[in-house]
Amino acid sequence: MKEQVINFQLNDEPVNVYSDPSLSLLKLLRNRFNLLGTKEGCGRGDCGVCTVLLDGRAVNSCLIPAGKVQGRNVCTIEGISSKSTAKAARFHPIQQAFVEKGAVQCGFCTPGMIMSAFALLQENPSPSKEEVREAISGNLCRCSGYKQIEEAVLEAAKVMICQKEHPGFK
Amino acid sequence: MSYTIASNLKQAIKILKESDGKAQVIAGATDLFLENLPSELVDVSAVPEILGITRGKDFLSIGAGVTHAEAAASSVIRSEAEALSEACRIVGSPQVRNMGTLGGNVINAAPAADAAVALVALGAKAVLTDLYGSSREAFVVDLYGGYNRSSVDSSAEILMRFLLKPAQRGEGSAFLRFAPRAALALPLVNAAARIRVEQSLIKEARIVIAPAKPAPTRLLETEKLLLGAKPGLDLWQKVKSTASSEIEVRGSMLRCSEEYRCHLVGVLARRVSQQAVVRAMEAE
Repeated sequence: MKEQVINFQLNDEPVNVYSDPSLSLLKLLRNRFNLLGTKEGCGRGDCGVCTVLLDGRAVNSCLIPAGKVQGRNVCTIEGISSKSTAKAARFHPIQQAFVEKGAVQCGFCTPGMIMSAFALLQENPSPSKEEVREAISGNLCRCSGYKQIEEAVLEAAKVMICQKEHPGFK
Repeated sequence: MSYTIASNLKQAIKILKESDGKAQVIAGATDLFLENLPSELVDVSAVPEILGITRGKDFLSIGAGVTHAEAAASSVIRSEAEALSEACRIVGSPQVRNMGTLGGNVINAAPAADAAVALVALGAKAVLTDLYGSSREAFVVDLYGGYNRSSVDSSAEILMRFLLKPAQRGEGSAFLRFAPRAALALPLVNAAARIRVEQSLIKEARIVIAPAKPAPTRLLETEKLLLGAKPGLDLWQKVKSTASSEIEVRGSMLRCSEEYRCHLVGVLARRVSQQAVVRAMEAE
């Protein structure tokens, strides 16, 4: 398709890019914005490693035509650290919990997992184990077996609630 | 050569008209984006006329642009069309459900599309509008034009909404699928049922399974067996054997062998009818 201007919010910054609107959002993020945290796995919506947030909801960026994000809000793994309520924290509490709970092995699914967890915790700050499983059901992990990931998301939920109630808490 | 996000129906129709058949409608994009895209696309996912879920006095209207996630979260759909609610909760993955629309599920015309199977069992009608402002109604099952092919020309018509009869007194519906995994898996067999009971006897029954033919398929023999019957162990045994034998299914490399699928059709037809009957009796 002929290139056209696409304006959108990317990690809370307004951006505009001249692009083929039929390019995937995934390729746009990686190749045009150099945001390499979002990974490409299957490229057809079967694995979830390319998960980003579109207007706050988890979506597969490989299945979204770039033209579709016009005027909308896209958040990638690079954009979540700054959203942390603890300003000094380098990592978002979800990222920190993944490290502490050993929820990362090869690491390829991790950004997508974290974005799905992030979308869940925005909407439901204290999810049950089942709700966590449901939220990450669109993300495949071929090494960890999901157990530690589940624990990390539940741990992050606790930390985030704590931080909200006690703003100096780390 | 363009991608336009239409902000209302009038604009969408205008673009389709001016493109002279070259532009095509796109909504959630989760299926269409995997195919060769036409050179002009009109994104209708933000068109207000195709959004929203409304409960009228004797109908339930669901916009074609409603996503699976919205449908799954809707309490109205859960109480009035439970089979559809269950189907929408299981489609693809949370990410796909956040984008993919009910209209897209039907127009993509995959033979075992979960939401479409439920819509057919519920007897849903689709409302379509052409480029000259006239609209038509058709049963969802009649929108299939062949394997993975819709009879709707999405350069000339826009699927607007689905109309369903809300659950009546003594009526229940259910949806079931059998797949190798609980998420991110193609179903081997899908089944949906809508059943009405009166004084513990089955008075109306629609049982649908897929994939068997290009469109979700009613099990007419099994339905006949259910009509007037009193639910019980005997009946469920017969439902299973009748369902297994009344329809020809194919095996596929992608899903499973013919024998296994045949077995699954029987099992799922039985389970889904039982579930719908339990709900129907609760609603009596």
